[in-house]
Amino acid sequence: MSQPRSSYAIGTGLFIVLGFAALAYLATQTSSVANVHQGASYTIDTHFSNIGQLKERAPVKIAGVRVGQVRSITLEPGQEVADVKLAIDKSYDRIPLDSVAAIYTSGLLGDQYIGIQYGSSKKLVAPGGTLTLTKPAQQLEEMLGKFFGAGGVADNLGGTYVVTADFTNVGALTVGAPVKMAGVPIGTVQSVVADPVKLDAKVTMAIDKRYNQIPDDSAAAIFTSGLIGTQYVAIQPGGSPTALKNGDEMILTQSAMQLEDLIGKFLVNGSPGDKKDAGNGKPSAPPAGKQ
Amino acid sequence: MNQRAPQGHNVVTQSLAQIGGCGLFLLTLLAAIPRSLRYFRETLRQLWFVGAMSLTIIMVCGLFIGMVLMLQLYHVLSIFGGTSASGLVVALAVYRELGPVVTALLFAGRAGTSITAEIGLMRATDQIDAMEMMAVDPIAYVATPRFLAGLIAMPLLACVFCAMAIFGGHLVGVTWLGIDNGTFWSNMTAVVDVHTDIVNGVLLKSLAFGAVVTLIAVYQGFTTPPTSEGVAYATTRTVVASSIAILALDFVLTAFLM
Repeated sequence: MSQPRSSYAIGTGLFIVLGFAALAYLATQTSSVANVHQGASYTIDTHFSNIGQLKERAPVKIAGVRVGQVRSITLEPGQEVADVKLAIDKSYDRIPLDSVAAIYTSGLLGDQYIGIQYGSSKKLVAPGGTLTLTKPAQQLEEMLGKFFGAGGVADNLGGTYVVTADFTNVGALTVGAPVKMAGVPIGTVQSVVADPVKLDAKVTMAIDKRYNQIPDDSAAAIFTSGLIGTQYVAIQPGGSPTALKNGDEMILTQSAMQLEDLIGKFLVNGSPGDKKDAGNGKPSAPPAGKQ
Repeated sequence: MNQRAPQGHNVVTQSLAQIGGCGLFLLTLLAAIPRSLRYFRETLRQLWFVGAMSLTIIMVCGLFIGMVLMLQLYHVLSIFGGTSASGLVVALAVYRELGPVVTALLFAGRAGTSITAEIGLMRATDQIDAMEMMAVDPIAYVATPRFLAGLIAMPLLACVFCAMAIFGGHLVGVTWLGIDNGTFWSNMTAVVDVHTDIVNGVLLKSLAFGAVVTLIAVYQGFTTPPTSEGVAYATTRTVVASSIAILALDFVLTAFLM
């Protein structure tokens, strides 16, 4: 340490400056701060029949460019519609009124985001306005269901706001799994037990009291989140004027799809006709096929 | 082993005494901070020595850590077609764990040992006693400036390490393996969070590691037996104790901060 005093002072100063420069670089260039738009934003309302795995703060993109984020996701009371509010950067204020908001997935297993495709209208969306044209998230089971002509099968629901449903096969459904309507969680699975008489799986679901206007002919189906995600119960509302009450039993259910069964059907005859026996003699519903 | 067996009981009490002595020494160090302010130049000189002089090894190691992480991740993620996520995984792994931990281990080897050896030799050659004779407080003049310098230097070194690791990952991933540049950065910025990953991950952890490493180094230097063999043992103990303390503290901090 025989260096002249000024030498190490300068070196130390350089070291401190370099350290703070590195910190500033990490904090601003490689973190989410880089995505924060300081500019003011305005809100657009959209309604989706299914939001899939979309989360709050998910990006909103136009032509792949990030222009804002999802501000809030709520379920419209009494309807099977998810109300999604988007916060769009003020500098992108020329979105045509007939633009389409669609939910896409980045890659096969990536996060979901909202893409806006411009329409041709001369009118623009006003701040606080609504984009009426939307495309919901694609559910793997529904796509598979269309392939195989999958219909609703039978379900039971019961409880204070506890409802039960009988499935011929619950797949990997576990206690605590979410119950979703239009992709929005509205309750949880309370128990999964085998019925000793009917030889079915009896699933008890606790549904939030706020959602007390679900039609009593709604169907319950066991879906999987994404390709390798966990399973959940999806409720597809029917058209009945009477609502489900505590202790009610949902008639229409659709059991979990077994990949082995699907592949087996392909290999044997590819016919979708034999899937009706999944109802186990219970009334079999026409295909839910709402999309 | 048999010869050591009777001392087994002593080893436990000795270790406890070391930990207790270290804790008490920390209080002495902290109490000496106001008195050491007049030796500001000494703190600056130590900052030069433990911080600026460690830059080369930190930068080179950071670069290689980032490069090898990217190579490994690219290889594994290409099985699942997820190579676009490799930049983000490099960033998270470096910010949350590898950056502060590897920097602290290197810091213990590069700066901790030299602090122990220097203070140990001062002790062995009676320089510390001489200071006391001249009414210079050796804690305020020798120990506290080194402790403060380590405390300041470690977070800065960890930041440099992380930046170099990102640069190394970018070099291998984007320049050599052909990951898209925009994907690399946008995936990273989409997930890395300033508070969780950079403040809690890099800064807080490296501050804690810097305090622990320099405390152990200074304490071992001060308490070394005043012989050449004693200095050698003290230097070894600094590295061993620092490494264990860093990794154990890393687990505790991760459990608390995540």
